[in-house]
Amino acid sequence: MIAFEHVGKRYGGRFDALAHLNFRVERGEMVFLTGHSGAGKSSLLRLIIRLERPSRGRILVAGHDIDRLHHTQVPFYRRQIGVVFQDHQLLFDRSIYHNVALPLEIQGMEPREASRRVRAALDKVGLLHRERALPIELSGGEQQRVGIARAVVNKPALLLADEPTGNLDPQLSADIMSLFEDFNRIGTTVMVASHDLALIARLRHRTLRLHEGRLVADEEAV
Amino acid sequence: MSSQGQERSRRGARTHRASAGGRWRSWGRHHRAMSLDSAQRLLRYPLSSLLTMLAIAIALVLPAGLWLALDGARLLDAELDESATLTAYLADRVDDGEAGRIEEALSAHEGVAETRLITAAEGMAEFQQSLGLEDALARLPGNPLPASVVVTPADTSPESVRRLAGELEAVSGVEEVRLDFAWLERLRHLAELGQRVTLALAVLFGMGVLLVVGNTIRLAVENRRQEIEVVTLIGATHPFVRRPFLYSGAWYGLGGGILACGLLTLGGDWLSGPVSALAASYGASFALPALGFGGSAILLACSTLLGWLGAWIAVSRHLAQIRPR
Repeated sequence: MIAFEHVGKRYGGRFDALAHLNFRVERGEMVFLTGHSGAGKSSLLRLIIRLERPSRGRILVAGHDIDRLHHTQVPFYRRQIGVVFQDHQLLFDRSIYHNVALPLEIQGMEPREASRRVRAALDKVGLLHRERALPIELSGGEQQRVGIARAVVNKPALLLADEPTGNLDPQLSADIMSLFEDFNRIGTTVMVASHDLALIARLRHRTLRLHEGRLVADEEAV
Repeated sequence: MSSQGQERSRRGARTHRASAGGRWRSWGRHHRAMSLDSAQRLLRYPLSSLLTMLAIAIALVLPAGLWLALDGARLLDAELDESATLTAYLADRVDDGEAGRIEEALSAHEGVAETRLITAAEGMAEFQQSLGLEDALARLPGNPLPASVVVTPADTSPESVRRLAGELEAVSGVEEVRLDFAWLERLRHLAELGQRVTLALAVLFGMGVLLVVGNTIRLAVENRRQEIEVVTLIGATHPFVRRPFLYSGAWYGLGGGILACGLLTLGGDWLSGPVSALAASYGASFALPALGFGGSAILLACSTLLGWLGAWIAVSRHLAQIRPR
């Protein structure tokens, strides 16, 4: 699903945020991406959604070199990836329902079909009863679950999450992670960047460890 | 993503693939939604929206008002061409029958579009009427006026009219051909000056409208920066992101245009009293022209287009900055 071939990312001509990255993530896999803050986890995810372009090497997603995408194709590429952000990136001027519906609205999905999908996604994260609420009325954990519903409403083949449990207590974090495992179980490729090592160790999935922009460990699930 | 196609079939419809008709429908749906949404945003801040529209209206009123004044003073092209006529005065000895033959000869000339014979008697009557000197003229022993033929040239450019005058003067029985070129050219230059000033003002104030709308939209883009970033991250195309702002710009332009039409109507009413009084003192009747249906439609179309264009420039510039590289 994802292949990094000798990928490097250099900022300002001096600082190597990422260097010599070589790894593959197979379709249907669930992978953790870990390392200290500043190790390059977010940069790596930004490369995959083509917010940044690599300074060196190639990134293949679903067999396509994403650096070759024309800038008009990028939106259509991004629609096939669900992204969960640490700060959830919800729009605070609209309801939970409309936040989750946003990717479908962007695709121009017919409203009735969209409404069915939005409700299914909200039901999946256990927030169907809050669809009319505004994000500000929700707790941090609930906001993050709205973010996840928005990422999966589109049924993407690839789900990326950047520190999805960053500000949550252990119980909520475990709940969020088990949601990701549920999506992985139905075939979605999932990549979660997190520095919550205790939680990651408990969950037993393949783990890529980054240190100063280099891949220092690739540990299979035990 | 062809390999993803297999994935899709394995797990059923993964992404929504719309048919061509469905795409058009969803495109139309988004246009409707965004035109309404942007109008509602304008109405949420009625005072600031009104001020923006008023600024646009003021910028439009000056060139539009000047154009109307030119139109009223008949300084626009069509009217001038009509007044470019020659008068061929016939010799004193020519009687009415011969005058008719001379008129026919003149109208046969290839450079002549139209002729109108004014016999000596008709000329006298016209003269009396226009000057109100019936008594004085009636005391004259005979009619001192010659018959004349008013000639409308086919080609109204100054050189060809001048050439035509020379040729008509050579026709026997024609005493003299008069063309009032001095005032005609003066008028022509005045008209050209007026038109150019109007055009220059229209361009300047049109740019003013672009700036007003552009600045307003720039602020709107700044206010919705987070939203733009989020929708860009989850796959919104540039036209999708631009659309609400373009509609806002068009609404501002349309509102400004409507206000400008109102201002022009009010201004016309306010000025019409003194203008017709002034015209009456010269023994003429002159009314300020109204904008009318066609004029209003043109003004509204221009202002809406300018609003849209201003928004387009502002949004495109700022999207380029927001676009994550």
